[in-house]
Amino acid sequence: MNRLTGRNLTIAYGNKIIIENLDIGIPDKKITSIIGPNGCGKSTLLKALCRLLPIKKGKIALDGTDINKSASKEIAKKIAILPQSPEVADGLTVGELVSYGRYPYQKGFGRLVPEDVEVIDWALQVTGITEFKHRIINDLSGGQKQRVWIAMALAQKTDIIFLDEPTTFLDIAHQLEILELIKELNQKQQTTIVMVLHDINQAIRFSDYMITMKDGEVITQGNIPEVLSSQLLAEVFQIDAELMQDKLTGKPMIANYQLVNRKYSKVEIK
Amino acid sequence: MELKNKIPFHFSIIFTIACIILVITFWISIVYGSADINTSTILNAVFNYDPEDVNHNIIIDVRIPRDIGALLVGVALAVSGAGIQSVTRNSLADPSLIGLNSGAALMLALTYAVSPVITFPLLILTGFIGAMLGGTMVLMIGRSRKDGFNPVRLILAGAAVSALLSAASQAIALYFRLNQSLIFWSSGGVSGTTWQQLYTGIPVVAIIVVIFILISGQLSILNLGESIAKGLGQNVKLIRAGTMLLSMLLAGISVAIVGQIAFVGLMVPHISRFLVGTDYKKVIPLTAVLGGCLVVSADTVARLMGEAPVSAIISFIGVPYFLYLIKKGGRTI
Amino acid sequence: MIDSKLKRKQIIVCSVLLVLLFLAVTWSITSGEYKMDLSAYLKTLIGQGEFKDNLILMEFRMPRMLITLLAGMALSMSGAIIQSITKNPLAESGILGINAGGGFAITVFIVIGQVNPNTFIYVLPLISAAGGILTALLIFLFSYNKGKGISPANMVLIGVGLSAALSGGSITMMRKFNEDQAEFIAAWMAGNIWGDEWSFVLAFLPWILIIIPFLFFKSSSLNIINTNDQTAKSLGMNLDKERLILLIISVILSSVAVAVVGSIGFIGLMGPHIAKSFVGPRHQLFMPIALLTGAFLLVIADTIGQTVLSIGTIPAGIVVAIIGAPYFLYLMYKTNSI
Repeated sequence: MNRLTGRNLTIAYGNKIIIENLDIGIPDKKITSIIGPNGCGKSTLLKALCRLLPIKKGKIALDGTDINKSASKEIAKKIAILPQSPEVADGLTVGELVSYGRYPYQKGFGRLVPEDVEVIDWALQVTGITEFKHRIINDLSGGQKQRVWIAMALAQKTDIIFLDEPTTFLDIAHQLEILELIKELNQKQQTTIVMVLHDINQAIRFSDYMITMKDGEVITQGNIPEVLSSQLLAEVFQIDAELMQDKLTGKPMIANYQLVNRKYSKVEIK
Repeated sequence: MELKNKIPFHFSIIFTIACIILVITFWISIVYGSADINTSTILNAVFNYDPEDVNHNIIIDVRIPRDIGALLVGVALAVSGAGIQSVTRNSLADPSLIGLNSGAALMLALTYAVSPVITFPLLILTGFIGAMLGGTMVLMIGRSRKDGFNPVRLILAGAAVSALLSAASQAIALYFRLNQSLIFWSSGGVSGTTWQQLYTGIPVVAIIVVIFILISGQLSILNLGESIAKGLGQNVKLIRAGTMLLSMLLAGISVAIVGQIAFVGLMVPHISRFLVGTDYKKVIPLTAVLGGCLVVSADTVARLMGEAPVSAIISFIGVPYFLYLIKKGGRTI
Repeated sequence: MIDSKLKRKQIIVCSVLLVLLFLAVTWSITSGEYKMDLSAYLKTLIGQGEFKDNLILMEFRMPRMLITLLAGMALSMSGAIIQSITKNPLAESGILGINAGGGFAITVFIVIGQVNPNTFIYVLPLISAAGGILTALLIFLFSYNKGKGISPANMVLIGVGLSAALSGGSITMMRKFNEDQAEFIAAWMAGNIWGDEWSFVLAFLPWILIIIPFLFFKSSSLNIINTNDQTAKSLGMNLDKERLILLIISVILSSVAVAVVGSIGFIGLMGPHIAKSFVGPRHQLFMPIALLTGAFLLVIADTIGQTVLSIGTIPAGIVVAIIGAPYFLYLMYKTNSI
């Protein structure tokens, strides 16, 4: 079942068309990764799917209703978004930022009702940052900050979470930590996850469903074992790669890769 | 190898046209005014001066010094702007926007407070010291540690320093009851220019402009960026400091003659670069001539509007230009 | 999720500020050409004063004091909102040219309008607000980039440019004025608090009573605008609309204030910044402190201007600039994000 679907999408920045006539469906309760080379439109697609970017043509429907015609606060109760490397005002504490996740449920002065407090505490606990509640966000490390933002998204109590390159600027251990957390959310809360990832191996390891894009077009979308192949990697990323089995997870992984056209090595150096 | 791209017109043609325009505007400015005087009277006034003739007196003692004053200020401000823009590599920089003018005005207010009778060369000197004060404050604060002279920081620091220095001048004026002369400085006008001021002003401005033309090759190299200029063996610090000092001196002189005028130093170098490219050997002379044109014609318009302040007339052209530059995103050279 | 410690801190800071404000008001009222001593002032305050003291306090000093307090609050609050919506800690109505816009509108009004002394006081805030809003809309328009939204950096640059043009325009028009009018505008531009009658308080108070509670009502939206654009949008906020409404409201607030007290900058910069340094950037917490700080600063600046010279006075706007501009520069020096 796909609660979130896009039909006939044309997306543009100003007059520059990035994506044209694209159809897409996001499988429920699964982790979906969008991958592709730089500038292929993956971030653009992600932003359009969660109404951060207006679309030129087509329709994005959530449970049958057009998300660009619904009240934005209503969508915010169903879809949460973690933008790419977000910034906050200096001096804001963890608890305060996470409490902003309750905004779609509030009116007027923004007093927190007991239910809000409960949800916020839960979000802090799930992401393991309860002890940082009163710390200033900008004093935290990159990995901790990312957890705070995920906690804010969780406080929105949505069924769907979008993440735009959630592991950028993190070291490898923190990358794994964040991805493990996302995986856990998906398994325990049945949350639908959609994310853009740069690292193909991480995408394979942590997601169920994969959308590959190139030049604004979707090349394949489907469950990973069905769509992943050496030909696909050659077509999309211009790399010649071997698919092996990861001994740890049992999933495929790419290895021994090189450029399909090794044009740069042909330059003669005098 | 000859680089010909991005230079839309030939320099000598442009420069000649600019000079012709300057002569015409200068002439129009002498002819039109509250007392209408025809061409033959002007020629007579210059070549057969008759002290008894009222018109001759108007021309020799009022109009001509005023026009030369406007010309001088235009040259000084425009070249000063070109210098500042090359040092900060920021096309939004202008002597007034980076605090030179308000600094000079403050020092002049102080000088008048201490002694109302003061010789013009001393006035230029105090104006220069004031410009140095304002400019140094803005450049020190506007220079962020990361990316050099960030345009937004520079303009913000300039606005704040100007607010501070103008408030200080106003306070001094109130305390010493100098109100009248201060309004004159803050609004800017060349109507009171005397031959005495010109005898000092002309040689100083001329010498500085010649120095600028001599070092224009260095400015072009500086314009490539600090690391490249250093790589080419330039003494970046010396060139920068020298250019800045000369620019401040020019700003100080123009404030001492007319008070504060903004946007001349912003617009003119920009127009020159548009016409002849980024080579400062061409930019500096053209900037000097066009700067003269701009202020002389603005002063004529101001006079025809019943002695409106020149600064206001210029900012009516300058501000839309400034907004256009921002909108276009052309912040760095 | 406000830390109870912060909440306590807010209450303590507010109480201290209230005491300081009372002391500042007392200093201000008891100094001046007619010296009213402390005991006479306190007696008059509780209704036990002599007739002459009562007259001076209630008819002259009190209305002027109230106007100063309200203007300080309005300017500080307006600065806080403008900073949040432009995400620029250095933005404020003076720097952005909004005060100059109000001044320009007032000058135009004097040039073309038949000034009626009875309604002048009530019309002036409207004129100033109209000028301020037009300027703000121009800034908004010029800094709006299709597809990218508002660029806060361009907003500030355009504001500085417009400010120069508008002041230039006002000075040009002043040439057409008679001496009284020219003096009025000159004093206005220097930030001389000139409103000193109860009618000014009446003209001013309704705006404050409507706008300030409204801004408190909007504080959770302001918190979210102050995070980042994508987060605000993903939490369901109509960002451009919300930003425009808040901009106009804050412009009205500062324009109405400058209409009665003259062009005063930097209060909107210092007030919110000092407040945030105590309790952080959450609006519910810092806005009450910013209100009190703004009022305190303006009273102090005005009193210094009134007393520092043996003959004559220095307009409050000049004193504020002499204190505020170095503060601004210090802030800039510390901030690396701009």
